[in-house]
Amino acid sequence: MHILFLSCLKATELIEKKLNFKLSAKERIQLKAHKMMCSACSNYEKQSVLIEKSLESQEEITEYKLDLEQFKTSLIEKLNEQPK
Amino acid sequence: MTTDTTKILSDWVNEYADGLLSWAVHKVSDTELAKDLVQDTFLAASEKLDGFRGDSSPKTWLYSILNFKIIDHYRAKVKQPVKLGNQSFSSFFTGDGEWIQQKRPKDWHEEEQHLLDNSDFQEVLKKCMDALPEKWSACVKLKYLLKKTGDEVCQELDITPTNFWQIIHRAKLNLRDCIETNWFNN
Repeated sequence: MHILFLSCLKATELIEKKLNFKLSAKERIQLKAHKMMCSACSNYEKQSVLIEKSLESQEEITEYKLDLEQFKTSLIEKLNEQPK
Repeated sequence: MTTDTTKILSDWVNEYADGLLSWAVHKVSDTELAKDLVQDTFLAASEKLDGFRGDSSPKTWLYSILNFKIIDHYRAKVKQPVKLGNQSFSSFFTGDGEWIQQKRPKDWHEEEQHLLDNSDFQEVLKKCMDALPEKWSACVKLKYLLKKTGDEVCQELDITPTNFWQIIHRAKLNLRDCIETNWFNN
């Protein structure tokens, strides 16, 4: 394989590496060259960044309903059962 | 336990259990699990109470125990072996590593901020996260939970950087595909 050419599998792997660690100079050039020719991998990168941002900003949507008083009471009971 | 210890712990439960519990629910997105973790936190606190000399406030101390329990929970998940094989890649790429035609990421034609602000989109993302193998979603989430860099997460989890970004890679391929299928095709 030519030094510049990456498969899409390898290119998307480098995109994830780039988001979490650093690419070597060679990897940076390879990835850039690949993205210029490949719209699918360019879309992948945009969307991967979007997913990261979204996870980062995700307000907790989970509504949790629970009886807090009951939880506290049973917790205190459990603690009292601990061996002296 | 002595009456004193019991009294101290009961006071702490009344004062801090509420906050600890919402913190845990926020971090693990599972109410029952969060309850268990908070309970473990107080049990650990009762055992270690003698060692607590008040260098920090009880609140800080309890949160540090809880955070340790949360990280431990994720660490255990990441340690679980997941059978990967080539299966996950072969559903996206050909043997030459090129995209399978119908799996090529499409242009989403949506403004980023639009999607970030859209609660339905967030809901789809959450469902797609839940559909991932636990080990993968744990790796993806940990960075944000711990607010740490990739290198630091690897240290916490005791895995190599290569291993880490390869798991993230597989996770992202599936997440992205799941979102495209469930959000943009509907």
